Amino acid sequence: MSKDEAKRLRERLNNELNRATLDHCVKCTICEQSCPVSAVTPLFSGPKFVGPQAERFRDGESVDHSVDYCSSCGTCSVVCPQGVKVAELNSLARAVMKAEHGIPVRDRLITQTTLMGRAMTPLAPVANAVLGNSAARRVMELAVGVAASAPMPTAHGQTLRGWLKKRPAPTKAPTRGPVIFFHGCAGAFFETEAAKAAIEVLEHLGFEVIVPEQGCCGLAEQSNGLFAQASDAVLKLVGQLRAPGTAAPVVSVAGSCGGMLKHEAHEILGLDDPDLADVGRRTRDISEFLMELYDAGELPTDFAPIPLRVPYHQPCQVRSQGMGMPAADLLRLIPELEVVESNAVCCGIAGTYGLKKEKYEIAQAVGKPLFDLVLELNEGLAACDTETCRWQIAKSTGVKTVHPIQLVHQAYGLGRLPGLG
Amino acid sequence: MSRDIVIGAGLAGLCAALRLAQAGRPVTLVAKGAGGLGLSQGTIDILGYAPDRVFAPLDAVRAVASDHPYSGIGPDAVAASAAWLRDELGPELLVGDPGVNLHLPTALGSIRPTCLAQPSMVEGAVVGGRRYVVVGVRQLKDFSPELVAGNLARTPAPDGGAIEAHPAWIDLPARPGEADASGLTYARALDDVAFADAFAAAVAAVAGECDVVLLPAVLGLRRLGVWRQVSARVGRPVAEVPLQPPSVPGIRLYEALLGRLRAAGVRHVQGSLVTGFQAKDGRLRSVTVAAAGGPRELAAAHVVYAPGGFESGALAVDSYGTIAERLFGLPLTASSSPDLVGPDFWAPHRLFQVGVRTDAAGRPVDGEAAVYANLYAAGGLIAGAERWREKSGDGIAVATAVRAADAIIGGAA
Repeated sequence: MSKDEAKRLRERLNNELNRATLDHCVKCTICEQSCPVSAVTPLFSGPKFVGPQAERFRDGESVDHSVDYCSSCGTCSVVCPQGVKVAELNSLARAVMKAEHGIPVRDRLITQTTLMGRAMTPLAPVANAVLGNSAARRVMELAVGVAASAPMPTAHGQTLRGWLKKRPAPTKAPTRGPVIFFHGCAGAFFETEAAKAAIEVLEHLGFEVIVPEQGCCGLAEQSNGLFAQASDAVLKLVGQLRAPGTAAPVVSVAGSCGGMLKHEAHEILGLDDPDLADVGRRTRDISEFLMELYDAGELPTDFAPIPLRVPYHQPCQVRSQGMGMPAADLLRLIPELEVVESNAVCCGIAGTYGLKKEKYEIAQAVGKPLFDLVLELNEGLAACDTETCRWQIAKSTGVKTVHPIQLVHQAYGLGRLPGLG
Repeated sequence: MSRDIVIGAGLAGLCAALRLAQAGRPVTLVAKGAGGLGLSQGTIDILGYAPDRVFAPLDAVRAVASDHPYSGIGPDAVAASAAWLRDELGPELLVGDPGVNLHLPTALGSIRPTCLAQPSMVEGAVVGGRRYVVVGVRQLKDFSPELVAGNLARTPAPDGGAIEAHPAWIDLPARPGEADASGLTYARALDDVAFADAFAAAVAAVAGECDVVLLPAVLGLRRLGVWRQVSARVGRPVAEVPLQPPSVPGIRLYEALLGRLRAAGVRHVQGSLVTGFQAKDGRLRSVTVAAAGGPRELAAAHVVYAPGGFESGALAVDSYGTIAERLFGLPLTASSSPDLVGPDFWAPHRLFQVGVRTDAAGRPVDGEAAVYANLYAAGGLIAGAERWREKSGDGIAVATAVRAADAIIGGAA
């Protein structure tokens, strides 16, 4: 981290228009009511304290170091009735603090999602064996600070791109326009089933699905304070997603990464880029996209029943996109599928937060009400829109956790989830 | 497909959305933030001062001036709407008779008239001849038993009798190392049965001779009925006294109402400001929501506008003293502020009575005619009441929300 970078971030923090929103804070405490982290640990003094209360009085000094314990779930900004950019400013303040005081090697490593996927895919059995080996994980915890019990992705022998190349060409000609499909790193390497299901559902509905070559959105780097790297990553991705054309909707199966394109790269990284704004305007979460079709009377609802009770958790970074809860609304269109909303603020993992050894226990405490609910109500399956949250729920409860689109895929008769009749 | 759009997640917005959804209508609730209910005392005021202390709120509602929000509604409808909310939330959360005010102690030791209250609070009613012990917690901020007991003891009870009140303290951190925790931290700790037992034992040890034990309103957030556990251990009635925000009783009501909304199928769009609208032929066609990435048009069959008043920014005064309504530019009862704020801070300020006027169905009017045939107002936006002075904000919110919803359900527009 160069001194220049630290200086640049400091200038942003001190001068950005968002900073003026700090003075809109009326100290109502609504953000404190909703913060999932300060609820379970005294190590984070809460979004109001480190933000509107302390930050606006500082002049060139780094904020209270407890801001490092903020998980960047974004809930404080969602619930603030006065429009204070609490989460955005606290994320920036943390980036400044890290730029000025140094970033652990661990935080640089765990943000390399694409690299990890590329490296692990050819070695899938070996990689999975290592990550599943408790002695190896203890070594990892000691050496780099990745918690031994934290969830890790499972590598597959085949990438999404490999599947796309090998599968037979779609037999039905498209009857609707093209969509540009955004699968995220997890959809490319670790969570290919959700991405495949989404592609098949879109094709079933008559769309021409274009899957451009695409890299990482940089969200993990951003939430670890690596703003320069995150900016490079997201702008590169924007170019890739614009390559097939600038008219078609960009449909995302990666819940949080869609939010990066829609607003976080602009609001948190401070990127004021017309191409980013264009992609953000066209980006739709897959459930949001299908519910827009439904509201327009253009979504077939000839769903086969799925007689099942499924706990559904909306991730914090999906909630903050201001689109309501389209996945739950969509799943409710499936006959006999009983959807139980978690009403939980966050599962705890918050991207890479819960992987860190010093934050692992906090993340588990944040997620506990959700885990309890899933354990109590599941009938073999839970649903959630974002990859790391699915790994967190599955690891902490032992309950298989899928993307909602996988249930829609089954309800359209396009496949069967293993273990579901 | 057009849906009924409710704007605002305070008490009025939540009630309107719930009522519409229960009638089978498709509803989307859009709110910029989490609404103000979590900041409230967790009780339902109907009318507390008119201007003297009110004992029978419905009688006082019958007597309000013709430009008061209650005047077009009347005591029967006010009572029915409050009773509807009480029954929706159930007796573990809200009890009382819309015709009778309770007089409950505050965290400053003053006496506040309110109507419906949580069952954990009602034993605190200030009655002449009773002896109260006020128990504080050393590690809890903003609740001083000396202040509460001292003020209560020097204030005549509403029935004219004298009361006795004494302070006491317990020493019981909710989390190790925190000397200045909020009520919310205590409420979360008291959701744990074992911590609640330790808390109850500590209170029992200091309660001394008294009829009622007054405690800060922190007795559990998700686990209702912690007050019964404490009362059983103490061997006497206990009562919660609401604190300043974060207000645990207020959050209980917010979460319970939100849970009922979602169960009734309401779509809830959180954290997004409504920034515009489309209208044609005197009707709203859609509202524009500032979602992440870009605006979304939500097609609207009807709109219930419940954004609050000045406190939320729905009404604002600019640097020239001009008063305006932010979203629809609705006509207000006054458009210039300087003459409406007096020099005496404690005296009434007419500014806070400014708002929209409505027709009998609750639609904002310009003169006599509805501004839009399918736009309804509810709650703090409606002109004619200085709510915190009268203690009337909750009752107005519920009654006007029910009026709007029932007009829509009944097909008024």
